[in-house]
Amino acid sequence: MNGEVLAEVLRSFSGDHQVVLTQSAILSVDQLLKNAEDLYRRSSVTSKSRIALYGLPPVDFITSLVAFDGKVEEMLLLPASLDEAATLRLVESAGCTHYMNAVNIVEVSREQEECRFSEAESESEATQWLLATSGTTGRPKLIGHTLASLSRSVKRDIEKGRGFVWGLLYDPSRFAGIQVVLQALLSGSLLLVAESVDFELQIEWFVQNQVNALSATPSLWRKLLMDGRIKACRLQQITLGGEIADQHILDGLKRQFSGARIVHIYASTEAGTAFSVHDGRAGFPAIWIHNKIAPLPLSIRGDRHLLVKPLLLPEGHEIVQRLDSDGYLDTEDMVRVEGDRVIFLGRASGAINVGGNKVPPEYIENRIREVNGVHDVRVFGKKSSIIGQIVAAEIVPHSGWEAKRLRGEILHYCRLNMESWQTPGIITFVDELNENPAGKRERLT
Amino acid sequence: MKEKIINIISEIASDSGWEIVANITDDTVLLESGLDSLGFAILVARLEEELLYDPFSMMDEPVYPRTLGEFVGIYERYCV
Repeated sequence: MNGEVLAEVLRSFSGDHQVVLTQSAILSVDQLLKNAEDLYRRSSVTSKSRIALYGLPPVDFITSLVAFDGKVEEMLLLPASLDEAATLRLVESAGCTHYMNAVNIVEVSREQEECRFSEAESESEATQWLLATSGTTGRPKLIGHTLASLSRSVKRDIEKGRGFVWGLLYDPSRFAGIQVVLQALLSGSLLLVAESVDFELQIEWFVQNQVNALSATPSLWRKLLMDGRIKACRLQQITLGGEIADQHILDGLKRQFSGARIVHIYASTEAGTAFSVHDGRAGFPAIWIHNKIAPLPLSIRGDRHLLVKPLLLPEGHEIVQRLDSDGYLDTEDMVRVEGDRVIFLGRASGAINVGGNKVPPEYIENRIREVNGVHDVRVFGKKSSIIGQIVAAEIVPHSGWEAKRLRGEILHYCRLNMESWQTPGIITFVDELNENPAGKRERLT
Repeated sequence: MKEKIINIISEIASDSGWEIVANITDDTVLLESGLDSLGFAILVARLEEELLYDPFSMMDEPVYPRTLGEFVGIYERYCV
């Protein structure tokens, strides 16, 4: 295998250096490597294996990354939040030979082994880390990374790294979570991993262990500030990502944690970490557009889509089909230049970002149309100073339906059939819906 | 103002099937009232529809209220 391997990087640290702390265990480098070695031996994988890691507790997940990076052809990283149908589909399309969950590791049938994930026919021999996109367009897609592409923006200053105690708030099998795990592991920091996903318990654990570096969405940062307990920690590193970071939350964090380095990053599963902004202002400097001083080549297309040209792109046709003739990737994020800044407006698809959860409006519209009494519906994102956006719906009722009753029917249906963040928080009743001149639904607010 | 806010909290809880604490007072911690941050975001959006302002987007210095009393205070301060 070519390139850097996670276990090798860890071996460069002192064996007794503590890397992961949970409520029930402290893992030193030696212990983590030993656990990984044991797992590898137990697994019967080979260099040609493709293993799916699904719904593992965070510490087991991290151990698996150490065990299998550099040893197998491919690791498919599946969040526990994926439903069974999506999981099976992704395992099959990736042609996995092995499947590991919280209980055991199984070798999947040879018939499935024949079904190869064509995108993984990579020129590089490094282990592929296949990540599922968060499914803005409905169905999650697989993006092939490597340790090199995922750790490209990770700071490797070990002197500084030793002083950091990172808290893991994200699912580690998602892009943002992997960034936190790799940042902590590769720079010699301690990573705090709560054994529960309960917010209360996580924060209690972090405060108790004096976390000083955290990465979260702007919505989660607002929640942390409202909760207040995090203020007892002397945060030195604050990272925001996954949603648009507005000036209010950047100012709020600066005021509360005056000694912290505050960074908002622009990243996606597809493009990796494109760039990070450290100047405490929302958006990014307009001078970066078509300028060599930019962290990477950036451009704004006529339709206001932000284009980026990452130095190291993941492989596969999902990516290739979004590149233009100059090699720029369409981020599908819309931007506007305001004075000396470029400001993010939202997704071109109209996808609504509710605290980091992406909601395709068409999907919600189709579901709400199923409710008896609904003639037509428009779903859009309403800007929220608390959580980025919330789902809003305009409803055209069938004649004879009283608004209050229909509202109750819609909410009842949504409660039974959707996640809470997909359910419209604001519902208004209108006589007709307005289309734009192209006949499309207006979705930007 | 406080009454209006508590009424909307009850409405949101009933719409969403969330259980909220029986007796909401000035000292009730918002995130412990039964509304999570999504519920809180919906509360701010519903209040904006009724009152036609969102104090959280008007603040020069952002404040994140912990209790109902602090939350009501913010709305009263920015009342136009």
